[in-house]
Amino acid sequence: MHKKQLTAAAALVAAAALTLTACGSGSSDTSAKPKAKSSSVADVSGAQKPGAATVLDPPFTKPDLVLTDTHGKKFDLRAETKNKPTLLYFGYTHCPDICPLTMSNLGIARKALTKAEQAKLQVVFITTDPERDTPAQLGKWLPAAGDPSFIGLTGDFKKIQAAARSIGIGISPPVKKKDGTIESSHGAQVVAFSPKTNGGYLLFGSTTTAEQYAKALPKIIKGEKP
Amino acid sequence: MIRRAPLALASVLAAAGLTLTACSGGSSTADAKAPAASTSASATPSAHTPAGGKPHLTVSGAYVPQPVGDLAAAFLVVKNTGGGDDTLTSVTSPVSGEVSIHKTVNDRMVEVKSFDVPAGGTLDLARGGDHIMMMGVKKPLEQGQRIALELHFRKSGAIKVTVPVKAANYQPAAAQ
Repeated sequence: MHKKQLTAAAALVAAAALTLTACGSGSSDTSAKPKAKSSSVADVSGAQKPGAATVLDPPFTKPDLVLTDTHGKKFDLRAETKNKPTLLYFGYTHCPDICPLTMSNLGIARKALTKAEQAKLQVVFITTDPERDTPAQLGKWLPAAGDPSFIGLTGDFKKIQAAARSIGIGISPPVKKKDGTIESSHGAQVVAFSPKTNGGYLLFGSTTTAEQYAKALPKIIKGEKP
Repeated sequence: MIRRAPLALASVLAAAGLTLTACSGGSSTADAKAPAASTSASATPSAHTPAGGKPHLTVSGAYVPQPVGDLAAAFLVVKNTGGGDDTLTSVTSPVSGEVSIHKTVNDRMVEVKSFDVPAGGTLDLARGGDHIMMMGVKKPLEQGQRIALELHFRKSGAIKVTVPVKAANYQPAAAQ
């Protein structure tokens, strides 16, 4: 019951963030439609600053997920990231826009940390397009898109989808079209897991900037709320 | 009933505006033309445009975030200040043989055949939303570089734009 409400709230916040992007970058006389929408949604969610973290209370449970990392080795998410500050994102490498943007922002924010902080932080990118995102493809793309320290995971799509769903992120399977092109989907949010409780207690949307992440990361590394 | 009156008035004014333009305006009556015409255009973009109205397109704010590998996206704003609708039907570029246009539905990129640019309206290709996708980019694109894009419109024909490659996480200032 509780969890369902939370997911709905998270989706609402994400929707608000998305609509804000849509109208934020437009010129002053972009059609009135998105503008009206965003203001009404913002009212509901308490007019939060775009990109700011949303505190999840109660937090999400870290998904129990064993996948394959970029070296082709088994990676047990709960065991490997236990008591470590961890950011989780679901995306794919043939993604032109939001996935590289999110990884780039996290890569830039990570560089602003101290060496000790950097050593603690775990950024995990789980593919939503496992057929094309092999360990080798992830291993090639992630360091360029974000940072060489980022962990890339691939595996069975259904397992990945169920894990994403358990933390309020909806992804759908890649669709192969008649002309051979593949349409995949990515998550809109990054979930931060606390090193103290291992719970997913913060949610960031696709409008979160590198500066906002840079401010939030030292707090996340201590398990604090930004 | 009440709603119909201003629309009729607007189209009359728009028609009047057209005639005034034709005889090289400048007088005080010509000033009335602009607001009237734009009102009718924004209220109902296509239905009340004067017959034979032409689209007038301007492209601004174009950029390509520095891509990872050979897959790049381009973002820009097309503004139609004319009296006729137009449609973006395709995009070409010397840097890629496979340029397509996409909308974003539930965080999924969906290729589309065209984007409408209604009279008095704006086509906003922005991060997280509609975009131009370039696959198989021949040479790596670096920040600071400029690339050529050709936008093909049904009525206005081709519009060439030079697009800067920006940082991977670049967002236009207006979005912040």
